[in-house]
Amino acid sequence: MTPADLTLAAAAAAIRDRRLSPVELVESVLDRITRVEPGLGAYATVTADRARASARAAEEEIAAGHHRGPLHGVPMGLKDLIDVAGTATSAGSRVRDGHRAGTDSTVAARLSEAGAVLVGKTHTHEFAYGLITPQTRNARNPDRVAGGSSGGSAVAVAAGTATFALGTDTGGSIRVPAALNGVVGLKPTYGLVPRHGVTALSWSLDHVGPITRTVEDAALVLPALAGYDPRDPASVRSGPPDHRPAPEPDLTGLRVGVPHTYYFDHVDPEVEAAVRRAVDRLSDLGARLTEVGVPLARYIQATQWGLMVPEATAYHARTLRDTPDRYAEDVRVLLEAGELMPAGDHLRAQRARTLMRREWARLLTEVDVIAAPAVPLTAVPAGRESVTWPDGTVEAVSDAYVRLSAPADITGFPALTLPVGHDHAGLPIGMQLLGRPFEEATLLRTGHAYERTAPAVRPREHAPRDTVPGTGGGDAGIPAGA
Amino acid sequence: MPTDDLTPPEAARWAARAGLPLAEDRHARVAATARHIHSVVSVLRELDFGDVPPAAAYSAHSDHFAEEPRHDAS
Repeated sequence: MTPADLTLAAAAAAIRDRRLSPVELVESVLDRITRVEPGLGAYATVTADRARASARAAEEEIAAGHHRGPLHGVPMGLKDLIDVAGTATSAGSRVRDGHRAGTDSTVAARLSEAGAVLVGKTHTHEFAYGLITPQTRNARNPDRVAGGSSGGSAVAVAAGTATFALGTDTGGSIRVPAALNGVVGLKPTYGLVPRHGVTALSWSLDHVGPITRTVEDAALVLPALAGYDPRDPASVRSGPPDHRPAPEPDLTGLRVGVPHTYYFDHVDPEVEAAVRRAVDRLSDLGARLTEVGVPLARYIQATQWGLMVPEATAYHARTLRDTPDRYAEDVRVLLEAGELMPAGDHLRAQRARTLMRREWARLLTEVDVIAAPAVPLTAVPAGRESVTWPDGTVEAVSDAYVRLSAPADITGFPALTLPVGHDHAGLPIGMQLLGRPFEEATLLRTGHAYERTAPAVRPREHAPRDTVPGTGGGDAGIPAGA
Repeated sequence: MPTDDLTPPEAARWAARAGLPLAEDRHARVAATARHIHSVVSVLRELDFGDVPPAAAYSAHSDHFAEEPRHDAS
């Protein structure tokens, strides 16, 4: 194991105790980038010189007795939608050719203040409007999709080319690639983490959050990100989430809801089996399991699209008219077609969202956490666009990947994905935990208890090559944004 | 306006009304995508919303404007 393989918690402890220098850690990560990045394509830009300078500064500061906290001297990747002063926010798009951010986004500034070291900007599906991130390969198998839209961030964390990273999540864009690459992704409560300086996909659905190797690591990153910022109109005044690992992984008294509708429909049997085993583990740890129904399930996709499609089109209104040829075709046609959605459909989606938020709030008075699959199938081969379920239903891969993520984006409730196993081809499977607004600590406590009883997840440079049965070819469906 | 049978020329006309002129080679693709989006979103028309308001994010009490640059719409 090299320093690049350390979890954030382990690296932070080693740096704090002066057993590891930030310079060693950053050099280890840059060395890993040199070796594996050509085959992965996780980064849009690697800021090696800047990272080395930041690492030296951190080393000197810590040697002088000023240790800023667990992120001090730790290398990170930021999704290439997140502004960092002096660097391009290319958003995975030729539309942004020549871009240079003038100031830091709120999250970049806060991470810099916490002493984190920027290693580079990670690839995103163009403007976050897709679930694949075609520039990037899956960290476990290069023939498989990375997932998206925060594909670069998830792959970098999984491959040891960043100790942690940030992603954004509008329809699953943190949780989907995290699950497909075997790492942890946290979509915080809407409004908890400010989005000032982060390129929007859909204002009413966008979230920023951490991608890490462990739940414990996510709990270390979140406090640095959270907190009110008046420049984000959705930002709320809320105390920083405080998750301290309990001495023992004990979940006695925790009420865990297991959906008997929606979340286990049209789910690959290996995914279902792994998630149900993980749920049983929560029960072994003291949680009380209860079956729950998912409210308004029939209207989830319609609500997601009714919000996201016109908002994304509105954001891109000017450039869609000025430089339409600079968009990739899959994104361009969605933006164009978004112009044709009547305002009445958008308002119906907003009203359905009101209903959903009420019903989910009611549901989460009956249970503390809902446990479900993060995505219904593991990473598909690059180029595959649809899946055929045993009952003959054909579903676009992008729709399948969004399907189980959308409820937490629509309601704004927090959701965490963590790895709970692999399929027969060695591809990771994620379990999703959903909770009440601003109760991230409950999700982190639950996920951390689980991971303490499971083998640690380590970066893997080499992965098995195999195929996933049960997925079909074809091109039905249309890419859904994330 | 029903869109389940939206034709490429109709899609072009609707887009033009929204201020987005489309080249002819875009009409069929945009129409197909708009039909698909409509097929997904129109399910919401089944719901009786009664007095339920939209979940818009707006607050008259706001300090969000103090630090933002003035917008010049000219």
